Amino acid sequence: MSLLSIEEITKEYDGIIALDRLSLKVEQGSITGLIGPNGAGKSTLFHLISGVEKPDSGKIYFKEREITSMESHEIAVLGMGRTFQTLQIWGNMTVVENVMAGMNRRLKGGLFSYGLWLPWIRRSEKEALKEAKEILDSLGLLGKWEFMASQLPYGKQKLLEIGRALAMKPELLLLDEPASGLTLSEMEQLSEQILHIRQEGVTVFIVEHHMGMVMEVADEIAVLHNGKLIAEGTPEAVKRNPEVIEAYLTPGAGGSEPRRQEGIE
Amino acid sequence: MDFGAWTLFGIWDLVIGILHVSARENMSSKTSKVSQREFRKRDLFYLVPLWLLSLIAPDPYLYHKKEFKKKDLFYLGAIGLAPLIWSDTHFHHLMVLAGIYAILALGLSLFMGYAGQISLGHAAFFGIGAYTTAILTTHYAFPTFVAFWASAVSAAAIAYLIGRPILKLKGYFLALATLGFGEIFLVIVRESTDLTGGVIGIFGIPWFSVMGFSFDTYLKQYYLTWGVLIGLFIFSKNLVRSKVGRALLAVAASEDAASSVGIHVPRMKLEIFVLGAAYAGLAGSLFSCVMSIANPEAFSLGLTVLIVMMVILGGMGNLYGPIAGAILLTWLMDILSKYQEYSLPIYGVILILLLIFFPDGIGTRLNVRVIYLIGYWAKKKKRDEGKL
Repeated sequence: MSLLSIEEITKEYDGIIALDRLSLKVEQGSITGLIGPNGAGKSTLFHLISGVEKPDSGKIYFKEREITSMESHEIAVLGMGRTFQTLQIWGNMTVVENVMAGMNRRLKGGLFSYGLWLPWIRRSEKEALKEAKEILDSLGLLGKWEFMASQLPYGKQKLLEIGRALAMKPELLLLDEPASGLTLSEMEQLSEQILHIRQEGVTVFIVEHHMGMVMEVADEIAVLHNGKLIAEGTPEAVKRNPEVIEAYLTPGAGGSEPRRQEGIE
Repeated sequence: MDFGAWTLFGIWDLVIGILHVSARENMSSKTSKVSQREFRKRDLFYLVPLWLLSLIAPDPYLYHKKEFKKKDLFYLGAIGLAPLIWSDTHFHHLMVLAGIYAILALGLSLFMGYAGQISLGHAAFFGIGAYTTAILTTHYAFPTFVAFWASAVSAAAIAYLIGRPILKLKGYFLALATLGFGEIFLVIVRESTDLTGGVIGIFGIPWFSVMGFSFDTYLKQYYLTWGVLIGLFIFSKNLVRSKVGRALLAVAASEDAASSVGIHVPRMKLEIFVLGAAYAGLAGSLFSCVMSIANPEAFSLGLTVLIVMMVILGGMGNLYGPIAGAILLTWLMDILSKYQEYSLPIYGVILILLLIFFPDGIGTRLNVRVIYLIGYWAKKKKRDEGKL
């Protein structure tokens, strides 16, 4: 069975069908891209997978466990990390603390063991700091580890958000429009990072609005249009698919695009 | 809650104060004039803690450096020596009160300053602690040391029961729910006369004592209170510089992002709410032992506003702030009490001014823009006349 498998998912907002009996699989160790024009239902799908919202019908399996009705923090503990379309960095903490907070569930111990600063807490905090610095190093952010996260430029904050998700040691990493708002050189850096992340054994699932970057890094691409999957396959095959070309050339083709869900962000 | 909401508290005090004054003026004739008090040397002593406050004031750009520093040792020394240098019982008593309020404010600042939530029912947990100690020691003759811990446990247990349902609320709704809880607590205390003594309260609570050593002077009580405070401060600081603190800040900044890394947001809020209540319970227990009386007046909304003010004025998001705020406000209220009915309006004005000039808490950052504007207004006339 695949790492993540979505079966017959339907989600409706006030009569607007955002996702219509959608089925999709993400294979272990792959980089899967999900593209589609504005309002195709991409972000809705991500919210459903990560447990922020619940589907009206259908089932989602992650590591062969049903996660359809789980809370988002429970899903995260199972090994699913994610970033957000609108940046959700914790500006009230330092860069390194953002990454260390990502390790939250891996660090054991309750309120009292931390309050009393038991010897093994000291050790685990030290190790967490070291590991967080290593993650920052791999992302090229180590030089600014003591800065407040809010002081970083936008592109770096996006990288930091990925770093925070990586700190969870996830098996599946969901990236929601990682390239939006990035400059060209930052985008290249990001592609390298994503390939590097995959090499370390993390499966990556990217949602993108623009085709460019995803076509470069992904092995598998799924195209979503008006809540339905219209194409699936390798980047080359998808590029040549006439339905995809039509969807992208005439973005308003459906007429009833559920644009609302973009607004929810 | 934003800055504007906090200034409302200042205005609230101001309005109450003005009403209070006008009521007094109507009631009595000119006989109750404010006594022209002579300047007392003791007042100068209070400037010293104020100066200490400025040292305590955290550097806003370094506040994320959460290790214990040499500075902390300096504070420790200052706290230890202060009552010996100024061996004035009034000063001791004031600092005992400040210490008790600081414990309360410390617990609340974890919940407000770190987890970014709001509670206006904190005085109730203080009251629960005070009454637990009062009832256990007077009705059942428990030793105070046992009652002390029982107070923390009872406050925490009630906070758990209350917190589970109401912590699902956010922002102003949470503020209102906690406010309601505080009022309900007062009503229960006033009505259950058999247990709590009703409006009159419970008298004759014994001094705090451990293994036969009784804290029967203000000096001893000073060391007791500040000892407990330092213990709780170290505990809190350990929390905020580790996993727990990061999780709290994450919850405050973005709950979605917090749960996306596996932080159980509701449980985190509940844990810190219960911990804050336990602090308040300990503070309440000390309070009833020091005052040897527990009556509902002491735990009203006024106290909650005072504690919230201490946290805000001290500066949210660091642990030195609530202590600084507690010392400042206790001291301020004592100084102003000499002005009798005018004390509350003056108090309100000072709070508003402090909030305008130090929006991030005393000592953190002077609001330079306000000073610039005042300078601009001052020179406006001259400028208009072409003299500048």
